[in-house]
Amino acid sequence: MRMPARGTTALLTLALAASLAGTAGIAGAESSRHGDQADHGKNGKIKNVIYLLGDGMGRTHVTAARTRYYGADGHLVMESLPAVGQVSTYAVQQGSGQPGSSDFAPNYVTDSASAATAWSSGVKTYNAALGVDAKGNVVPTLMEYAKQAGLRTGNVSTAEITDATPAGQMSHVLLRGCQGPTYSASACQNPTLTGGALPTSDVRVTPVADQIARNGTADVILGGGLSRFDAADESALEAQGYDVLGSPATQTVATKTDLAGTSAPKVFGLFNKGNLTIEKYKRENPSSVQAQEPTVADMTAKAISLLSSGKKGFYLQVEGALIDKRSHANDAAQTLEEIKAFDEAVRVARDFARRDGHTLVIVTADHECAGFNIIEKGTFTNAEATTPPANTDGGNTANNSTPSRPSGGAKDPVRSTGPVNGSGAGDPKNFAPATFRTADDPAGVVDGSPDASLWLTYLSGNHTGADVPVFAYGPGSDELEGSIDNTDLFDIVGGALGLTD
Amino acid sequence: MRSILLALALALVAGAGVACSDRSGTDDSGTRPVAAVDPLTAAKTSFPGLEPARPGDLPLGLDTASPAPGTVAVVPGPFDDRFVLRGVRLADGVVSGRLTVTSDVSDLLELEVVAGFYDADGRLLTTAKAVHHLDEAVASHEEGPPDETAPFRIAVPRRLLDRVASAAITVPVLVNE
Repeated sequence: MRMPARGTTALLTLALAASLAGTAGIAGAESSRHGDQADHGKNGKIKNVIYLLGDGMGRTHVTAARTRYYGADGHLVMESLPAVGQVSTYAVQQGSGQPGSSDFAPNYVTDSASAATAWSSGVKTYNAALGVDAKGNVVPTLMEYAKQAGLRTGNVSTAEITDATPAGQMSHVLLRGCQGPTYSASACQNPTLTGGALPTSDVRVTPVADQIARNGTADVILGGGLSRFDAADESALEAQGYDVLGSPATQTVATKTDLAGTSAPKVFGLFNKGNLTIEKYKRENPSSVQAQEPTVADMTAKAISLLSSGKKGFYLQVEGALIDKRSHANDAAQTLEEIKAFDEAVRVARDFARRDGHTLVIVTADHECAGFNIIEKGTFTNAEATTPPANTDGGNTANNSTPSRPSGGAKDPVRSTGPVNGSGAGDPKNFAPATFRTADDPAGVVDGSPDASLWLTYLSGNHTGADVPVFAYGPGSDELEGSIDNTDLFDIVGGALGLTD
Repeated sequence: MRSILLALALALVAGAGVACSDRSGTDDSGTRPVAAVDPLTAAKTSFPGLEPARPGDLPLGLDTASPAPGTVAVVPGPFDDRFVLRGVRLADGVVSGRLTVTSDVSDLLELEVVAGFYDADGRLLTTAKAVHHLDEAVASHEEGPPDETAPFRIAVPRRLLDRVASAAITVPVLVNE
């Protein structure tokens, strides 16, 4: 399903890079979209892959963050990467075969677990599954392959490290809720799929935290979720040679000072008992305990420095998780700030790749979250969630829809989950709509006012089936151009690292 | 879609350790693991030294809680900083209350509230639990924002109704989307 043909894309890209290389005005990557095209065609051998994803980050999330922080003519770092494509994200039903098989049964809207399994293991699976296919079979992950092949490996997230996205590379469970610290039959067993309860020694019902602490899949593990781990996990990690920052045994969170002080080849550092803290809170409360958490950019920089000493290269996954979590809450202000924080991690990765010359940087998402949209001032409707507007146009009947709705309809309780912040829609601190000043606005325009130029709205509080963007930099980045499926990411990264051919 | 099952599925057979069912093959692009990796051993599926969970294990602290008659104690658990409890009480042979998640705004995937029931001398008589499990395969979302308040009711077994004098609760399982 990939298109266009890779070879054609590569040639076009090389030609474009050659034509741009001698021109002025493309030096600043963020000042010009695709400003890195000049060195995009570098024929370096790929040694490392840095795979970054903004959880829940759809195309509109990127556009909104760009507009919010840099204005209509600005660009996020990720938008400066020269290769651009789009990724389909659908999942499948439990028990489904793979696409093309007679028992293939798609589910158009994925969750983070199914999506993570798609790029980690190259298979479609059901929502909630991690490291298993839709029939419940264990499927190895790229990070496991990388580890086996002698590459250095790292896994960074602003979520609990047992959460779906990081766990997708380093665990195998039937249900993503099987996180730990304790086993729970309801959270771990899936008797509908397996025909009965599996023994608790089966990896597929072994809590993710127990697996991560013992399988050594990632050399560098940085994120949140200390509550999922206990004293036995700490002992298991130390027995494998990890420098454990903080302490699972005493539930002492690690700090950014701890992170800065380590140079061990294997590091386990969790900086919050749950998910890491949103940047907005840390910025506004610099003396808080939470402000001692590193940013996703800090963790990315440290992970690269720890992993890049390996002779065989490294594979690092980085997740900006709070984009999704705040999108579920329809919290545009914090969603946008988390996208900016994630973009700073992209900057770190891109800058390393520029210096290194042998690193492929991929930036994408697992799915879109909440139907995020940029709307024209004063046009908020959220049609599906509240009251559908009229869909017939007395002045131009060519605009009319079927079925005809000459006046406003009513909310369909079967199809609609209703307004997320309906009763508070008029309050600027709520969503629906949210308005934000941008770099294009005159001085004095403030967030939340009708004068602010960026109007944002949501369709729901959950994931959508929209394709997500992918941006890439470095040798091999042309592989990401065009339309791909999320399972193609497995092939591309595996091929780049020499793990699959 | 160009990728498919690279090489294998490890079918784990109950009680028989790991049995390998090699479904290896290549997809339409010919993608397969290179010689440097072995799909049969790449995934770690056993963990020497890890004691398999025993489903009947008590959450830590319930066996020693010994709450005073007429009270409901709250035994510390790993997620106490993620929720608030309201209206917790023991009445008419039921310990009940409401748990509201404060750490996230998203669907509540997993929740277990475990209750211990004690006699007048503070001896643990039995345990029972309330379980919330969101089956994502069949879940439909409620109207409005995710409901993060979970009411719970845990009944005293009928045979112990006349002996139970107090209770303790703890929350060993909590997962948000």
